[in-house]
Amino acid sequence: MPSSTTSRDRRQARFKLHQDAVRDSLPLLIPAVPFGFVLGVEISDSLMPVGVGFSTSVVVFAGAAQLALVTLAGTASVVTVVLTALVINARHVMYSAALAPVMARQPLWFRAIAPFVLVDQVFALGISRSGDPADFRRYYLTCGALFFPTWQVVTALGVLFGAAVPESLGLGVAPALMFTGIVVAMVIDRATLVAAAVAALATILLLDLPNRSGLLCGAMIGVAAGYAVEGRRTG
Amino acid sequence: MSVAESVLLVAIVAVGTYLSRAGMILLLSGRDLPDRVLRALRYVGPAVLAALVVTFVADPEEANRGVSAAELAGLAVSASVHARWKSLVATLVAGMIAFWVVRELV
Repeated sequence: MPSSTTSRDRRQARFKLHQDAVRDSLPLLIPAVPFGFVLGVEISDSLMPVGVGFSTSVVVFAGAAQLALVTLAGTASVVTVVLTALVINARHVMYSAALAPVMARQPLWFRAIAPFVLVDQVFALGISRSGDPADFRRYYLTCGALFFPTWQVVTALGVLFGAAVPESLGLGVAPALMFTGIVVAMVIDRATLVAAAVAALATILLLDLPNRSGLLCGAMIGVAAGYAVEGRRTG
Repeated sequence: MSVAESVLLVAIVAVGTYLSRAGMILLLSGRDLPDRVLRALRYVGPAVLAALVVTFVADPEEANRGVSAAELAGLAVSASVHARWKSLVATLVAGMIAFWVVRELV
């Protein structure tokens, strides 16, 4: 199998975009536009130098954490800012663990690069994709190749033109709406429904935990609830 | 905030973010996960994303925390539209329209 993969890779020396990945990514790119734009506006308002703030879209590439980073920078201790951003990002550990079985069949270079573009949307797309390793790799890389530059462009637009968009449009709600759609798509049985509902409820109750750790705790309670429901039914 | 200080801050967060995403992929990839862990991982997606939606609309950091009727209407319409048509574009458009309409009415 490795030899056939190599010869195919050689024939397709130039990377071709995966058609399914383009089709699946486009609707998810739309909500990234208002989110990235909002982030750009916050970067231009940040106490950080604008260039450094914008660099987070290249080197961090995690919207919610970037938003916390640029808005808190200079207003809280470095330790607080770092902890907040990393706690928000801790959900990625779960994404990483969830993708690990699929990644086990991938070459090391891909396993090293793939995490760099593991944003919420790419996780949602990647985890729902099955198929042979070469196909998965091209699918995943296409998603990354679409989301990564798009994020920088919309962030830059937010930095440059943010002041011109009326805040009254309320585009800040767009990411929540899209993620709601993704959650609905992931609810395929009673146990996944329980996981999502309990996670949402627990997060509401834990909203006051420091550094937004309610997000993580709520999610873990939701996972436990889904697992318990499944276990009770089968066991 | 000085340039050096903010560069350091961004660098720490960048490295931490990469490690949070890469850790399990690089550590676990050599062997299979126990069956119980695999089954629990099924619930990571719906649970984390549902929790994320909550923190987006009821942001604890913001002065006007809490959920408005308009936001609830948007979420409800988005969920229904996606359950019915499975299109994220329709989900976004319908949710935004519901949000705008209810915001004007309330």
